[in-house]
Amino acid sequence: MIMRSGQQLLLPASPVFIWCSLLTALLLDMLPFGRAPWMPDILALVLVFWNVHQPLRIGIGLAFVFGLGVDVHQSALLGQHALSYTALSFFAAMIHRRLLWFTVPSQAVQVLPLFLVAHLVELVVRLVNGNIFPGWTFLLAPLLEALLWPVVSVLLLVPQRRAPDPDENRPL
Amino acid sequence: MSLGTLDRTPPPIFKQGPSALSKLIIFSALALFLMVADSRFNVTQPLRAVLATAMYPVQWLSLQPVQAGRAVGDYFITARQAQTQSEAAALLLATQALRSSQVEQLTLENSRLRKLLDLREQLKVEGVAAEVLYDAADPYTRKVIIGKGMSQGVVLGSPVIDEFGVLGQVTLVHPLVSEVTLIIDRDLAIPVLNVRTGVRSLAFGDAGGSGGLELRFMGSNTDVQQGDLLTTSGVDGVYPPGLPVARIDRIERRAESAFARIHCIPLALVSGARHVMVLQPQSAQIPPRPTDASAVVSSKKGALP
Repeated sequence: MIMRSGQQLLLPASPVFIWCSLLTALLLDMLPFGRAPWMPDILALVLVFWNVHQPLRIGIGLAFVFGLGVDVHQSALLGQHALSYTALSFFAAMIHRRLLWFTVPSQAVQVLPLFLVAHLVELVVRLVNGNIFPGWTFLLAPLLEALLWPVVSVLLLVPQRRAPDPDENRPL
Repeated sequence: MSLGTLDRTPPPIFKQGPSALSKLIIFSALALFLMVADSRFNVTQPLRAVLATAMYPVQWLSLQPVQAGRAVGDYFITARQAQTQSEAAALLLATQALRSSQVEQLTLENSRLRKLLDLREQLKVEGVAAEVLYDAADPYTRKVIIGKGMSQGVVLGSPVIDEFGVLGQVTLVHPLVSEVTLIIDRDLAIPVLNVRTGVRSLAFGDAGGSGGLELRFMGSNTDVQQGDLLTTSGVDGVYPPGLPVARIDRIERRAESAFARIHCIPLALVSGARHVMVLQPQSAQIPPRPTDASAVVSSKKGALP
């Protein structure tokens, strides 16, 4: 097992927690906060996170299905989020071996292009389909998603960072 | 610490499954196929309905905080505000009382006159009240989702109004919810009638995203004035006639174009409606178009005098 020196040994991730986090992200995406183009896509963020950390469990197919769900919820053209999440998940699978060798802030810099590509895919599909350009503020969305990467990294790894043998002095 | 508690398992050597690239190709192709099927052939409605119904619990859960917030906000509305609102409502009721009491008599008179002149009876309008659940979180279009669907009798193409005027049209019906495209969406057109002059025209959603409507294909010398009221004309087979749609806001007559640019402001609360009325589309009650043979005869008759 090769890993970055000084990195903490983690417990196995529980599938229940992975699914709960994905559903919570979907729920957060669904909260009716209006229709600002710069709203970060939490579901995309969590999908990339699990794609990088648990590539054997969460793959491209699941990203596709979640994308279809988002399309139906936004009543957008069926398949555009599915396409962008598929691309996102593919690139996450491409970089997942390399990414974990870096510290969390530099990971955030490296996932920024992924989110940018995902949003550009969506934009191109929209423009081809005859929609109007939503304004340049949509470029803020991938930036905000990359900025949220450290937060998500901390939050979603908490259950795996518990002690392997909890006792009375160290319950967590 | 035993080794089983560690997260890092070695990747499987033989059981790899399809490669990431092949998965990417397969799922992208599937997504493209779905997009084409959705935008060109409109065959994805069953898939949408199934997914929407499966996601309804999550959707319901995500709406709870908002509705709780609204409920709390409504609870803490001050007594003064409630008083002003009730006074305004009473005033409105008083002004409307005269007209509404005349309506009965006018309807009777109208139907008798129509019978006398052998005109077709006015179409009846029936509706279902619904609540707006949320704005579609999509910066490219203007749609809202309402909490009534196929199971409550909403049909595709139904006009939707709120208390001030026409709000939009139902463009997707799921079993429990349906999607309403607002009149300010750039893909929606609505036939309107200028009440002052009686001229019919078409109002389109504004592409600029300013949240208004645009009256297109009106010559630069047409008689339109700022403040003119536009109502539905009733010739489209969808909207019942006489519902207020918009008021003309400003007119730009340009020398280089044969058409004037006419901007209108929708009367309905396009960004804040909470309770709406879904009407039955008129097309079901309208008689079929005359066949070609009768059309030829009638045009000859029209040409004679």
